[in-house]
Amino acid sequence: MDRVVFEGVGKRYGKQWALRGVNARFAPGEVVMVIGPNGSGKTTLIKCLLGLVRTTEGAIQVNGMEVGTDPEYRRAIGYMPQLAEFPRELTVDQLLRMMNDIRNARSGSTDDRLIEALGLEALLDKRIGTLSGGMRQKVSAVLAFRYRPSVLVLDEPTAGLDPVSARTLLEAVSEARRNGATVLITSHIMEEVQQLGDRLAYLQDGRLRVLLAPEVLLEVTRESSLSRALPKYLDQLPPSHVESM
Amino acid sequence: MWKVCKYTLIDLARNRFALGYAALLLVVSVGLFQLEGDPTKALISLTQVALALVPLLALVFTIIYYYNQYEFTVLLAVQPLRRRSIVLAQWAAINIAMLVAFLFGIGMPVLVYSPDAAGWTLLLTGAALTAVFTAIGAWIAVRNRDRARGVGIGLVTWVLMVLVYDALLLWIMFAFSDRPIEPVIVPLAAFNPIDLARILVMLRIDLAALLGYTGAVYQQFFGTAGGMLVAFLALLLWVLLPCWRAVRAFRVKDL
Repeated sequence: MDRVVFEGVGKRYGKQWALRGVNARFAPGEVVMVIGPNGSGKTTLIKCLLGLVRTTEGAIQVNGMEVGTDPEYRRAIGYMPQLAEFPRELTVDQLLRMMNDIRNARSGSTDDRLIEALGLEALLDKRIGTLSGGMRQKVSAVLAFRYRPSVLVLDEPTAGLDPVSARTLLEAVSEARRNGATVLITSHIMEEVQQLGDRLAYLQDGRLRVLLAPEVLLEVTRESSLSRALPKYLDQLPPSHVESM
Repeated sequence: MWKVCKYTLIDLARNRFALGYAALLLVVSVGLFQLEGDPTKALISLTQVALALVPLLALVFTIIYYYNQYEFTVLLAVQPLRRRSIVLAQWAAINIAMLVAFLFGIGMPVLVYSPDAAGWTLLLTGAALTAVFTAIGAWIAVRNRDRARGVGIGLVTWVLMVLVYDALLLWIMFAFSDRPIEPVIVPLAAFNPIDLARILVMLRIDLAALLGYTGAVYQQFFGTAGGMLVAFLALLLWVLLPCWRAVRAFRVKDL
């Protein structure tokens, strides 16, 4: 069974369609890299999946549950936003306990390996207001992975992280994939897309133009890098064409 | 809901603005009681200060806090929580924090210097106004995406309720002074929570006599247990209505 299903999803803000006619199915154990130019609809697509934005048309399912009705479907979701902001006066430990309480997680049932791997152990008693942006981003990563979600949504996860922490995070993504999680990542870094993505979803003007494996794209265009292959491939497509497999 | 409320309260307990608010109220209260020899006179001055200051600071603080927490609120909205619980929990926490600051800053000095019916009425109405204006603040912040616009609407709301509404009532009283308009003025005054709170405190200090026939009408209506009940029900409605509107707006809002 597909883990995440988009069926004719569209979102309109006023007269402007931010997303239109998106059909896609994502399987367990799959990493999908969501890419596209600024304003192409990446964030809207993710927000629709998370239930932060109400779709104008179409439907989304996560683990067979309809998005937008019962908030329980979000128990399966781990989310790492682009901007990590938390209550400034809470300590990191209090924030983690807050999320435990919200998710009714018992002590010992959470995956805390990232706390150590990202070097956050020494910061547990620090107030969040005293942490740098990169440190807050690490806290955000810990929260996303902590409850062993079956769907991970990461919005430009390595932006603001140092190279070593970025590497650690990408390894955590790979492990989540091995454990059967469906991972959606927005990224502008083509090396990441090529290295990590089982498929890439390319959005343009709110439409899903391409949904293919990076290797297929490279093979068809006979290019060695995605940054060259993608524009070449798009040039061959008629404007309204959607290529997916 | 309690889970979010609890940790928001922990955050607010260390918030400098909330602590500063409590300290400011304490300095003003103790200062007025120390400067005025007569506790009743000090209570009248304190009522005037509190009825202007408490709504303003509760309103502005709530709006700013909601905007400051926006990114975290988005993260909460991705958790298995109902949106209604999130917005109500945050409002409850802000309300409790502002209420504690009010009781610390004004409650303690009033109980020390003027522990009479008028003092208790000031505390009750001040607490009610805190709840009213944090609720209005939550509604404004949820409805408006832009922070500057939200704060602006908050300030305009405060000016309307504290100054413009009173000026309008005065103008009506002047313009129709030759007619028996008191039966109309009383419900109109009660429609504004700040005026309502002021009337309730003034009646307890026996200042209604200075207001002539209007004061007599106030006394006749709000001086009774039934009138007090209606007044507090009106204040309760002023809390429930903005809360309900905030929840409704937040449930359908694109975050």
